Amino acid sequence: MTRTFTRYFGLMPLLVALTGSAMAQQPPIKIGALNVLSGSFAAYGKSGRQGAQLAIDDINASGGLLGRKLELIQVDSQAKPDVAVQEARRLILNEKVNFLIGIDSSSVSLAVAPLTKEYKIPLVVMHAATPALTEQCNPYVFRTSNNARMDAYAAADLAAKLPYKRWANIGPDYEFGHSSWNDFIARLKEKKPDVEVVGEQWPKGGESNYTPYITALVQQRPEAVFSVLWAGDLVTFVRQANAFGFFKQIKLFEDPVGAALESIGPMGKEAPIGELFSTRYWFLQSQSPVNKKFVEAYHKKWNEWPSYNAEEHYAGVQMLAAAVKKAKALDADAIKKAFEADGGLTYEAPEGKKWMRPADHQVFEALVWGYTTPSNDYPFVVLKDITMVPEKDTVYPTKCK
Amino acid sequence: MTGLASAASLFLLAVGLSLIFGALGIVNFAHGSFFALGAYFLFALTRGDAAGFWHYLPVAVAASLVVGAVVERVFMRRVLNRAEHYQILLTYALLLIIEDVSKICFGADYKSIGMPKGFEMPVFVLGIPFPSYYLGLVGLAAAAALLLWLFLHRTRYGTLVRAVAQDREMLEALGVNVPLLFTVIFALGIGLAGFGGAVSLPLQSISTGVAVDAVISAFIVVVVGGLGSIWGTLLGAILIGEIQAFGALVLPEFSIAFTYVLMAAVLLFRPWGLLGRPPAVRT
Repeated sequence: MTRTFTRYFGLMPLLVALTGSAMAQQPPIKIGALNVLSGSFAAYGKSGRQGAQLAIDDINASGGLLGRKLELIQVDSQAKPDVAVQEARRLILNEKVNFLIGIDSSSVSLAVAPLTKEYKIPLVVMHAATPALTEQCNPYVFRTSNNARMDAYAAADLAAKLPYKRWANIGPDYEFGHSSWNDFIARLKEKKPDVEVVGEQWPKGGESNYTPYITALVQQRPEAVFSVLWAGDLVTFVRQANAFGFFKQIKLFEDPVGAALESIGPMGKEAPIGELFSTRYWFLQSQSPVNKKFVEAYHKKWNEWPSYNAEEHYAGVQMLAAAVKKAKALDADAIKKAFEADGGLTYEAPEGKKWMRPADHQVFEALVWGYTTPSNDYPFVVLKDITMVPEKDTVYPTKCK
Repeated sequence: MTGLASAASLFLLAVGLSLIFGALGIVNFAHGSFFALGAYFLFALTRGDAAGFWHYLPVAVAASLVVGAVVERVFMRRVLNRAEHYQILLTYALLLIIEDVSKICFGADYKSIGMPKGFEMPVFVLGIPFPSYYLGLVGLAAAAALLLWLFLHRTRYGTLVRAVAQDREMLEALGVNVPLLFTVIFALGIGLAGFGGAVSLPLQSISTGVAVDAVISAFIVVVVGGLGSIWGTLLGAILIGEIQAFGALVLPEFSIAFTYVLMAAVLLFRPWGLLGRPPAVRT
């Protein structure tokens, strides 16, 4: 009863709108966001949510999209594929969302992706990094952030220019850790055939005790160690490695999100100095007006500096909005066309240009690498002597058409 | 060497679990949460500054003791005499509640602090740098084990704790305030978990998800060593610490598996743990 009532009632404002009245009366465009808001990675879901919310506020403040407001419906994926699929179905069927966004975990992204075809709802992934996602050539899945292969290739290009020959690895013992190291070392050996691998360490994700791995690494005497440890794992590893004097002997090469504020924040003043850290976005790097405005607005709204995940979610929502504007429609096929048309959608994000490759819907963008250095202005280390690895160095062939 | 340091923190984490099970028969799934709480307390007290570490460590432990006592009075008391699955459900619920409450109180970001005063620089053992705090940690754990042993075996109250594990009714009949004894034991177990969490803070980052990992490690240690046995817990912690240390050196690809292989072997051949007692028929 009430539902039919509201449905008819809902039509009235539409008529009002047609006669040129307030757009707030129209039903909003609903965006369902799946982020991890509990457990070990909750800090990332939080910054992602904050970034997405800021983008939506910005868009609404400047008149919304197609004359309609945007509304963010945030749910907790718990980083569990089964939970996320359940929540995604609920968002689609009950909340009637027009788009799904977010997703921090690779396994969650792969589990949710099939729903896009089932319900014809576009999914824009803004964090999860498994290359397999965009290798599926799913027509309605788009990724506006880097994937792990691009990150590893960019790291290898940079590493090839450095004098280090004896390399070792320490990475979390799951798909992301293994594929990143394999991609990295294969590409590095191509560019620099005389590199030598002296050791590989595979602690489990969420390990609390890295000391056995650290002592093993020290004894293998590498010149540089490649690592994709991230989040709390990285903080714990760095703390324990510091206590061993690890960084006095070995250069840490921290790919791809070591300089995430979620990690270097908790390291505080004890973070290692002069190590090479990468990130997908560094808030002090770009001097563009777009970035300055974003950093200022984000800090004002959330009283925090924007981390890469905050920026990726902000930029991802903006890029989706650009596609909607271009498509002038919300249905999945129109959005797909808008993302693919004219050689792929490009968008000037706070971090710089993002270009979506039409074939596999993977965005390519430049990557930040820099040396950690103490700062008087911030309670954490900052990056200096920044190298931007251009997006062309991260492009790899795709089988999608 | 590093194996001993890992053993020290594993022991502090697991010994409270073992104590509570041994005396009260409660399988405490929320044990890891109290480990995390101890770390959160210390972080909040020091505001993330390592300078206040030694000052606030006793305060954090005291806070954990209080939490333990309150939890026993309010929750545990009600399920003591009920079937085990009630206890498991309750402690699992506690785990979830504590996780969410600490997210609200302390935030979702990773917490960690620097090395405490006096332990900033590594020492050199045979020319290889070794974190001095690890030696401190081994010392703290050894002191805790010794004090606990003295308490259990050399004091009258400790005798009661051991007695209650054997025969609750008899102790009540002798006029001992058993409910109070239970509160003390539970608080002590939780206090040890909180202590373990607090002293681990300089070595690892704490976030809302840490409780589950911690309780799994604790269970592995007590299963290997024997549920309810203090020395068993110590042995389990040392074995697992050393196995991890040597595993990473010898066969890094399988370093994680070693721990579980050990646990499986113990479960197959000595299901009551290395130093545990085979279950007797209870009357």
